[in-house]
Amino acid sequence: MSAVAAKPAAGGAMNPTAMAVGVVMLLILLGICYFVYPVGLVPLVLIVVGGVLIGFGVHFVPVGGAPAAMGQAPGIATGVAMLAAGGGLAGLFGGAWAAAAGQSALVVVITGGIGGGLMMAITCMMVNFVYVFGMGIPAASGKVAKDPITGDTQAEYKSQGTEGHGLPFVSFVGGVIGGLFAGAGGTLIYLELLNVYQAALPGVMQITAAQVMPIAVSAAGMFAVGMFLVNAVLTAYNITGTIEGPHDPKFKRWPRSVVASAVASALCGLVAILIVAM
Amino acid sequence: MTVKVEVIEGGIPHSKIMIAGIVSTLVCLYLTYLNVLTGTEMFSFFGGLAVIAALIWGSHTIKVLCSYGIGTGVPSAGMIAFGSGVIAMLLATKFGIMAPIVAAVLAAVIGFILGYVSNNILNMKIPTMVQSLTEMAVVGALTLMGFAALISGGFTFAGLTTGHVTVMGMTLMTHQQSFLGGCLIAVAFLLGAIAIQHPFNACLGPGWKQDRMLMLTAECGFLSMIVAAVMSFALISTGSAIISLIIAIVGWIYTYNEYMVLPKRDAAAWLDSKPIPEVEGH
Repeated sequence: MSAVAAKPAAGGAMNPTAMAVGVVMLLILLGICYFVYPVGLVPLVLIVVGGVLIGFGVHFVPVGGAPAAMGQAPGIATGVAMLAAGGGLAGLFGGAWAAAAGQSALVVVITGGIGGGLMMAITCMMVNFVYVFGMGIPAASGKVAKDPITGDTQAEYKSQGTEGHGLPFVSFVGGVIGGLFAGAGGTLIYLELLNVYQAALPGVMQITAAQVMPIAVSAAGMFAVGMFLVNAVLTAYNITGTIEGPHDPKFKRWPRSVVASAVASALCGLVAILIVAM
Repeated sequence: MTVKVEVIEGGIPHSKIMIAGIVSTLVCLYLTYLNVLTGTEMFSFFGGLAVIAALIWGSHTIKVLCSYGIGTGVPSAGMIAFGSGVIAMLLATKFGIMAPIVAAVLAAVIGFILGYVSNNILNMKIPTMVQSLTEMAVVGALTLMGFAALISGGFTFAGLTTGHVTVMGMTLMTHQQSFLGGCLIAVAFLLGAIAIQHPFNACLGPGWKQDRMLMLTAECGFLSMIVAAVMSFALISTGSAIISLIIAIVGWIYTYNEYMVLPKRDAAAWLDSKPIPEVEGH
């Protein structure tokens, strides 16, 4: 983004017509999957659920961007796409490890969520460490007068001319919740694709199940990363820049992101499943 | 409605870059098919040239898109390009010789829908959003296909998933030592994603010049090609990999020198600060 850019004015307005078109597109994509490859319908629905979890979860993550790096806005000092990728991919690795250990699907998804949440918790703690002890600024929110969880007042600690700074408690909690959702969503996508490929690729490629393992893991992982990034960037477009956490007014935009992520995940998931159907 | 904050002044129009980009990328990708026709792997380096052509087109598309304040940073554009591109590219490899064209068409469809989603459902309301995301998905898919051709010598699904390993004089078929099975695609993914977003991120601002940014893109592309050429030693014959590596290094040195002239031309003043001097006695 340019240094002289005006604040994007996408605003919080919903576009009901486009939302309806989005839902219809989602149903059409699911319908195509049902006709072309009926076995893939349940995995595709779960992939959509995973994508929606990512899109919804990223809204919790306190994203500060460049202003946060200068101590002029609360949040972690980088972009939405980078934070989502960090938290989500950490979760994906945790979940993939649990899947390789032969755990049940529920355990795998929860492990993925914990991986993402842990990554965000460590990030948030170290960020506050740097803010408080490195830059010498206290944590204060600019969007609310009192922290919704602890009830601490914020205004006394907020420097004039800033939108707040540091990482207040509610943002920390939001970051961990966001990591949980995003990690679980990314892992769910990976797990469903892995199951589809493990079941169908040996027949398609005429090789044994053991030989297909590296290809199935690699392709499922690559698709999961691709879909994760698509969902994260679409959510970033929804947030347009920075968000403080669940108490930020921008958080109310999440319905748009849920529809967008559902359509995008259905589209990408359908293409990914078609590999074994064609 | 978003305010457009930068304008394209002078330089080659975007439509011309787009057409040149897609034609030269597809031509270079198909030139790697000479591998199959001649039964060698010598022509794999054309995959790297396809990568560079696609990246030049893609970085200019990012400039067109990110001139509107999208508020999410330039790198996110590179990420969505490759996130949507990898999905189209992997399905397209199933179509044999038609793969590059199928990849372009499929990626365009995915990119168009994502563009509609961001512009209407997410209410971005940016005039070039749909076209830019469409182009970017095509760039992502073709770049990855170029890397696949450079590293493994082909762009078909069978070629990307099958490799050969020699054990005590016997050649065995393996799926682990391949572009997809060994997950070299993950490295290719980020090599491309970084090379596509860096040039505009580095050159943006009021002093933006088209030729400077595009030369930096070519430099980043050749730098990625060097890494990919090194990785190709694992999958194609040593001689062919050396050809790719030499072309990548020569191209990188040339574009680096060409690029270094341009910032000096555009800068108000230039001081060649030497590396940290070693001061005796301190």
